[in-house]
Amino acid sequence: MALEEQKSTAFIVRLLKNPALHGFTPLQKEEHILQFLSQNSSQLYPTLSSSNFFPNKNWDQIWSLLTKTLFTEINKEMLPALKSIIEEKLDFTFVSFLRQQNYPFTKLKEELYNFISALLEKPELRRAYTGPLTALWVDFTEKYIDQVFVRREYIHFELTKVQRLKMSREEIKNMIDASILLRPAVFILSAIESAGAVESVSGLVQPHFVDKVFKVLKKKLPFLPDELLRSSLNSNVSFIENRFLEATARLTAIFTGRCRTFNPHTKTDRGADTPDKSWFSIARRNYRFYGYDIKILDELYKISAENDW
Amino acid sequence: MIGENMKEKTVQFLESIVIVAIILVLIQTFLEDFSVLAGWSWNIRKTLVITGFCFDLFFTIEFLTRLFSSLTNRKGLEYIVFGKGWIDFMASVPLLMFNSGPSLLAVMAGGALFPGVGGFLNVLKVAKAIRIARVLRLLRVLKIFKQIKYADSVMAQRHIAKVTTLAITVFVLTSFLINLLSRPLNIFSAEMQFNEKYNRVADYISENIRGDDTGAFDELLNIEEGLLVIKDGGKTIFSRYDNSFYRREFGPADYQYTERGSLGFFFDSRDLLKLQSRDNIIFFTVVVILVIILLVYYSPHFAITVTDPIHVMRRGLKEKSYNLEVKVPDRYRDDDIFQMATLYNEVFLPLKDRSRAEEGGGDLELKIEDIKDIF
Repeated sequence: MALEEQKSTAFIVRLLKNPALHGFTPLQKEEHILQFLSQNSSQLYPTLSSSNFFPNKNWDQIWSLLTKTLFTEINKEMLPALKSIIEEKLDFTFVSFLRQQNYPFTKLKEELYNFISALLEKPELRRAYTGPLTALWVDFTEKYIDQVFVRREYIHFELTKVQRLKMSREEIKNMIDASILLRPAVFILSAIESAGAVESVSGLVQPHFVDKVFKVLKKKLPFLPDELLRSSLNSNVSFIENRFLEATARLTAIFTGRCRTFNPHTKTDRGADTPDKSWFSIARRNYRFYGYDIKILDELYKISAENDW
Repeated sequence: MIGENMKEKTVQFLESIVIVAIILVLIQTFLEDFSVLAGWSWNIRKTLVITGFCFDLFFTIEFLTRLFSSLTNRKGLEYIVFGKGWIDFMASVPLLMFNSGPSLLAVMAGGALFPGVGGFLNVLKVAKAIRIARVLRLLRVLKIFKQIKYADSVMAQRHIAKVTTLAITVFVLTSFLINLLSRPLNIFSAEMQFNEKYNRVADYISENIRGDDTGAFDELLNIEEGLLVIKDGGKTIFSRYDNSFYRREFGPADYQYTERGSLGFFFDSRDLLKLQSRDNIIFFTVVVILVIILLVYYSPHFAITVTDPIHVMRRGLKEKSYNLEVKVPDRYRDDDIFQMATLYNEVFLPLKDRSRAEEGGGDLELKIEDIKDIF
């Protein structure tokens, strides 16, 4: 058994070191390797089932062994990064503005980390975390919210006047980041419990399902304010169906959607528009499909165009 | 396999030598004309004439080798018409036969003092008449031009090479033909003006001045500065400079000769050559500027308005994960290609994005070939 694990680890490490995966975040790499294994199973199986690798095992057993090893290897890189994001990067002082009681930040961060790392044990939740963790990994919120506060247009109005976030720019950024971090928690319920409430293609959920998850989440994360939990969960609801979604929820949805395929090392071909500008432009045309707020997309599109992002 | 690699390396090495030779010959062509214009001594100019001959010989051999090779592969016509064999020919054989060949012959036969051999003077006249063929050397710019990788796209390379070839060929051949036809069509030229003047001087002297009239020769020095030497029956009766000056400063093409009875007249034609060299330098400069403009201005323009949008759309159609839009410049928005790009941006990419969301996954960054050693 130990020998099989060694072989499996050697194989997965070999794939992870492939230069083609350079620049991707751990969960993006994981997604690429899973896709690679799945699409090339017919070619890989004869070799991987030979005496050199895993003899007398069928493909399902090999797949199980390899994915287990893959998750272990990815976790080695991802969990310290997640810890660092929660403990060092995210500042939870905005929580004090939302609820008038103090909760020790150290304990809050520790419990949040434990909660998310538990979520990441579920393969389907790992996939849902690809976009959010990439957004936090590359500091996506930072540059756009800075520009939003310079322009003081629609998004700024929605954040400060409609959602009434009476807090500083930095605190708003931290709230959006925290909202991004908790967005996949909407899938905390089992597949049976969520049947019919999750749209399989766009990943959008029904508003009544959010209410159901909110109650569960509230029990698991009592130290976090309702506004943040609602923002995270509502980011999975279509803005077309609910025009009263929080601005932070709408931004969370867009930022995670953008970062699902984000690669900071993407080379822009001559004659092509920049990656962010292209993504926002396409998203503007598909806004109904993904349930995005078109006005937010318009402003983010302008920001990306002006900054060559 | 090893033999093929060796052959490929040899071919690459020879091609590199040809490129270096083309660059050198362009410098040599410029210097040969510049040396005349700047009034450099004959010794330096003689070296440039000899190197010019060596280059023309080299390129003639190169042309014949390529022609022989293509003929043995039954691709002679393809090489001449589509493989720019006609440029190889025009920029080598005629130059060797009508320009640098006769010039070298003149240098070898009469490099010292003025020749007294009439037969040789005919060779010299041919060489002078075909001097204008030197402009054909500029066609070699096209050979170096095709080596410059100015665009990624094969289509862009072919189109720009075609435009450049057309522009330079039309310019060079038109200049060549105008020069060639100016004499038979009796079009006024600097050469005709010089000839008429020297004939008038020769007529005047043969009719009015006797050989022993030393005072008249002093007068001649002032009348016509271009008159160098008068010979009567092979004996020098007048010379503007001493022999060492002629040896140092004059080459075989630097003077013109005419006869009136027993009198032979040598006139200085360096001013005429300067005018021709000036014209050649102008041609050279125009060709170089033309190539630079086509490379620096037209090539990027072609890429921006034709090949780049095509490249982006091709990748978008081919690669599942590629979703960059085509940049549509406002001033070219109505171009067919950008109208298509707008449809690609506004219709195709959003549809592709939704389709990808339904199917899941993107392009595989990892390839099975990356781990083929384990198989």
